[in-house]
Amino acid sequence: MFPGIDGFEWTPGHLIFLGIFYTVVAVVFLTLALAAVRAWRSYRANRAEAIRWQADFHDLPARDRACRHALTGEMRERVCELGFDCRRCETHARLLEERPPAQAPAADTEAGGVRLPLDRLYHRGHTWVRPEKDGTVTVGLDELASRLMGTPDRVRLPKAGRRISVNGTGWRMWKHGSDVRVLSPVDGEVAATGGPEAGWYLKVKPAEGRLDARHLLRPDEAAPWMRRELERVQWTLGHSLADGGVMVQNLSEAVPAEAWDAVCAGVFLQV
Amino acid sequence: MTMDTKRKRPARYGMVIDVDRCTGCGACMIACAVENNVPPAQPEATDRTGITWVRVYQIHNGASFPENRTAFVPVMCQQCGHQTPCVSVCPQQAVDVDRETGIVGQMPQRCLGCRYCMAACPYHARYFNWWDPVWPKGMERTLNPAVAPRMRGVVEKCNFCQGRLHAARERAAAAGRAEPKPGEYVPACVEACPTAAITFGDLADENSAAAEQARGGNTFRLLQKLGTEPKVYYRSSRPWVHQVAQQDFGRRKKEEIRG
Amino acid sequence: MDRALISRGVRRCSPRQFLLWLVPWAALAAFGAYSAGLCLVRGLNQTNMDNRFAFGLWIFLDLTVIALGAGAFFTGFLLYILKRHELKAVINSAVVIGFVCYSGAVVVLMVDVGQPLRAWFTFWHPNVHSMLTEVTFCITCYLTVLAIEYLPILLKNRKIRQVPSFLVFEFELHKVMYVLAGVGTFLSFFHQGSLGGLYGVLRGRPFAFREGFAIWPSTFFLFILSAAAAGPAFILLTTWLVSKISRKRLVKLEVMAELGRISGVLLIVYVLAKAVDTLVWINETAPATGFAAHQFYAWRPFGTWILFAEIVVFGLAPALVLLDEKKRQRTGWLVGAAVLVCSGIGLNRFVLTIQTLALPTLPFDAFLSYTPSWQEVGTFLAVIAYGVLVYSLSFRYLPLFPQERELAEVPRVSGD
Repeated sequence: MFPGIDGFEWTPGHLIFLGIFYTVVAVVFLTLALAAVRAWRSYRANRAEAIRWQADFHDLPARDRACRHALTGEMRERVCELGFDCRRCETHARLLEERPPAQAPAADTEAGGVRLPLDRLYHRGHTWVRPEKDGTVTVGLDELASRLMGTPDRVRLPKAGRRISVNGTGWRMWKHGSDVRVLSPVDGEVAATGGPEAGWYLKVKPAEGRLDARHLLRPDEAAPWMRRELERVQWTLGHSLADGGVMVQNLSEAVPAEAWDAVCAGVFLQV
Repeated sequence: MTMDTKRKRPARYGMVIDVDRCTGCGACMIACAVENNVPPAQPEATDRTGITWVRVYQIHNGASFPENRTAFVPVMCQQCGHQTPCVSVCPQQAVDVDRETGIVGQMPQRCLGCRYCMAACPYHARYFNWWDPVWPKGMERTLNPAVAPRMRGVVEKCNFCQGRLHAARERAAAAGRAEPKPGEYVPACVEACPTAAITFGDLADENSAAAEQARGGNTFRLLQKLGTEPKVYYRSSRPWVHQVAQQDFGRRKKEEIRG
Repeated sequence: MDRALISRGVRRCSPRQFLLWLVPWAALAAFGAYSAGLCLVRGLNQTNMDNRFAFGLWIFLDLTVIALGAGAFFTGFLLYILKRHELKAVINSAVVIGFVCYSGAVVVLMVDVGQPLRAWFTFWHPNVHSMLTEVTFCITCYLTVLAIEYLPILLKNRKIRQVPSFLVFEFELHKVMYVLAGVGTFLSFFHQGSLGGLYGVLRGRPFAFREGFAIWPSTFFLFILSAAAAGPAFILLTTWLVSKISRKRLVKLEVMAELGRISGVLLIVYVLAKAVDTLVWINETAPATGFAAHQFYAWRPFGTWILFAEIVVFGLAPALVLLDEKKRQRTGWLVGAAVLVCSGIGLNRFVLTIQTLALPTLPFDAFLSYTPSWQEVGTFLAVIAYGVLVYSLSFRYLPLFPQERELAEVPRVSGD
C-alpha cells in the first residue's frame, strides 16, 4: 500500500489518521457481521416467529398495548411490556394471588353486542380457546373478528402436526386484498384444521399435555376488553359501529374500503 | 538519481522579474506553452478557462493623461517556500515541494481534478484542463518529447520547466558533475524574453545573479504578508509600481488582463 | 399489489395520484442526469466554472445539503446515545433524509471532480494534512453507516418483513444500532468540521482563513455547531412539509417542539461563537494577512448586510424564537424559525464558498462573478429531485413515522 509509493514516509499524522480511520471501518463491519451472525443463529433456532411478535408488539401504538388489569379497572393506565404474555408477568401472578378470580358469571356475557360464551378463554388477538374433553383445545375467531372477516377470501391453515406457539402465526387469512396473520393463542401441535364454515379453525394438542391459560382472558375479563376493542375500531373508523344500538352484523361490508386495512391491523394487532 | 549526482546543498530556484523591462509582448507565454506542450485553446475558451502557466497582467498608475503610466506584471506559480498553500490541501499528494530544488511540483497523473489547490492559490497560478487537449493535424510533431501532455480534468501549473531541469541534470551527469552549472538550467520564459527582464537562478546560492538581484533594493514579492515566502521576486525603480502591486487590496476598477 | 406494500394502519393516496406526483420529479431527475452525463462525457467545460472560479454551485450544494443532512447523525446521537426517546418519532425520517443528502452530495462530488475514476487515489496515497482527505474518508465511511442505518427501515417494509430471515436480520441490526449511531456521530463531527476547515485553512484566501485550535481552524468548530443546529431544524421543516403535502398528522407537536428546542439551544451557542469568531477575524486574523476586513465587503452585492443577515436575521432571530417555550407550541413559529435556520445555513455556506472565490487577492486583480450553466443547474436540480423521489417512495412504503398510526386514529364521541 503506502510504502512503495515514491517519497512516502510514515509520520505520526499518518499513524493517527489511518489508525482512526481503519478502526472505524473495522467497527462498522464487525457490527454488521455481528448482526448477521446473530440473525443467522436466531433464524436457525426458529426464533423468527417470537422475534416477529416482539418487534410487532414494540411497534404497536401504546394504547393498543394496555394491560388486561388496566382494562378491568384493577390498575390504572398500565401498558404491557411483555407482549401480552402474562405467563412471564410477575404483576399478573401477584394480582391473581391477591384477588382470585371471582365466580364465573352464570350466563354468557356480552359486550357492545358481541357475545362472549362462557365455555372458552379469549386471546388478545381475537381468538378463543375451548378446552375439549379429549385433552385438545379448539381455537376459533371471536365474534368481533368473525363479523369483521365474514367469509375470508382465502384461508391458509397450518398442516396437522405443525407446532405453533403463543403469539406466533396461528393461520393466515385474506379479505378485501388485506392479509391477516392471526396470532396463535396456545403453544402446541396442530391436530386438525377446520375453517370459517366449521366455526373453528384449529384443534391443537397443547404443549406438555395441558393448557397453560394464564395469558388468556377469562370471560368476565373479556367483556371490558371487548368494549375497549370496539372503541378502538371506532377510533380507526372515526365513527360509531353501532347501528341503532346493535352492532352491524356484517362488518366486512360496513367498513369503508380505505379504512379496511387499518381496521384489520388494529383488531388483529398487526404491524 | 544516483549517489554521485546527489546535491550536497539543496537549491532554491527562483527568479527576479524586472517590471521596468517588461514590455508586455507575451513571448514568455508563447514560449512556455510551446515548451510545456500546452495545447492550443479551444474556440470556446476564455481568458478564464484557457491555460497560461504564465500570465502577463497590465497595471496602471491610475493617473490621467499625460501622467498615466502602464506596466506589465508576468505572474506564474510563485513557488511558495513556506506553508505552500496548494501542497497541504491536495488530498492525494499530487502536489509537492521538491526538497532538492524548492520547486513546487504538480503530478497530473495523480491529480483527481478536485481543484481545491486552485481555490487555495492566492496567485491564481493554477490551471485546469477543461477540455481534452487537441493539437491541429501536423502540430503534434511540434510537441516537446521531454514533457508529458496532460489529460482533461487535471490541474497543471508552472514548474520552472522541470523538463529542462532533468535535461540539464542529465547533461551534467554525463559530464561527471553533480549538478548543472548556473545558466545550464533556464526556463523557457527566461530564455524567450526579448528584453531579458527575467533573471533565473538558485536563490540559495548567494553568488547567483538572481540571489544578488533579489537581495538588492527595489524588489518586492506579491502578497508578501500572507507569509508564503514566494520565490518569484519583482523589481521596479518606479514607486507607483510598488504601490499598485503591493496595495493591500484589489482596485475596484476591472483591470485589463492580457493573455 | 401497491396496497400490500404500504404499512398497516396508515393511509396513503391512490397509486395513480402517487404516480402523478412522481412524474414531474422523475422528469427533473432525468433532465439532471442528462446534464450530469454531459459533464462526465464532455468534461467540465460544460459548466461555467473556470480557473479563477474553480468551485461553483455544486460545492455550495454539497456543503449545504450535508449540513442539512446532519439531522440524521444528531438525532441518532440524541436518541441512541443520550436516550432522548421522544425522538424515536422522527429517527427513521431523519435517517432517510441523511442518506438522501449524503448520497446526493457524493454523486455531485463525483461529477464535480475532473477525473472521477481516480477518486480511490485518495485512499491509496492520502495526504493526511488535507481537510479534503478527512472529508473524503469520513463521508465515504458515514455514507456506508447511513446505508446500514437505512437498511433496517427498508427491511421494515410490510412485504419484505414477511420473509423470516429479513425480519430476524432487521431485529438484530436494530439491536446494534447504537454502535452505528455512535460511529456515525464521531464521523459526522469530523467531516462537518472538516468541511468548514476546508476553507478555513486557505491561507491564500484571507476572507476565509481563520486561526484555530491545533490543526483545526475556527470554522471547523463553527461548522459542527451550525450543522448540529440546522439538522434538527431541517427535520422539523421536512416533517411539517410532508405532513402538509400528505395531509396527515405524522408526529406529536411536542416532538416538533423538542426538535425546535434542540435547534434553538445549539443555534444560540453557534451565533455567539460566530460573533466572537467574526470579531477576532476582523481585528486579528485579517489584518495579519495584510487585508482590512471592511475591504472584503466593498464589492457589490456582497456588502456588510451579509454579515448582519447571517448572524442576526438568520441566527439570533430564529434562536430567540426557538428558545421561547410559548412560541414553540405554535407550529407557525416553529416552522418559520426552522425556515430561517435552514436558509441561514445556506447563506453561511454560500458566503464561505462563493464569496471567498469572488473576492480578488492580487492587488491588481478584479472582483469576479460567475453564473452557473444550465448543466450545473440541472445537476443541482437532479439532486433535489432524487431526494424527493427517494423520500416519497420511502414515505409511501416504509414506516417513517411510528406515531402516524396512533395519530390517524382520532378518538371521537361515538355517534357523531
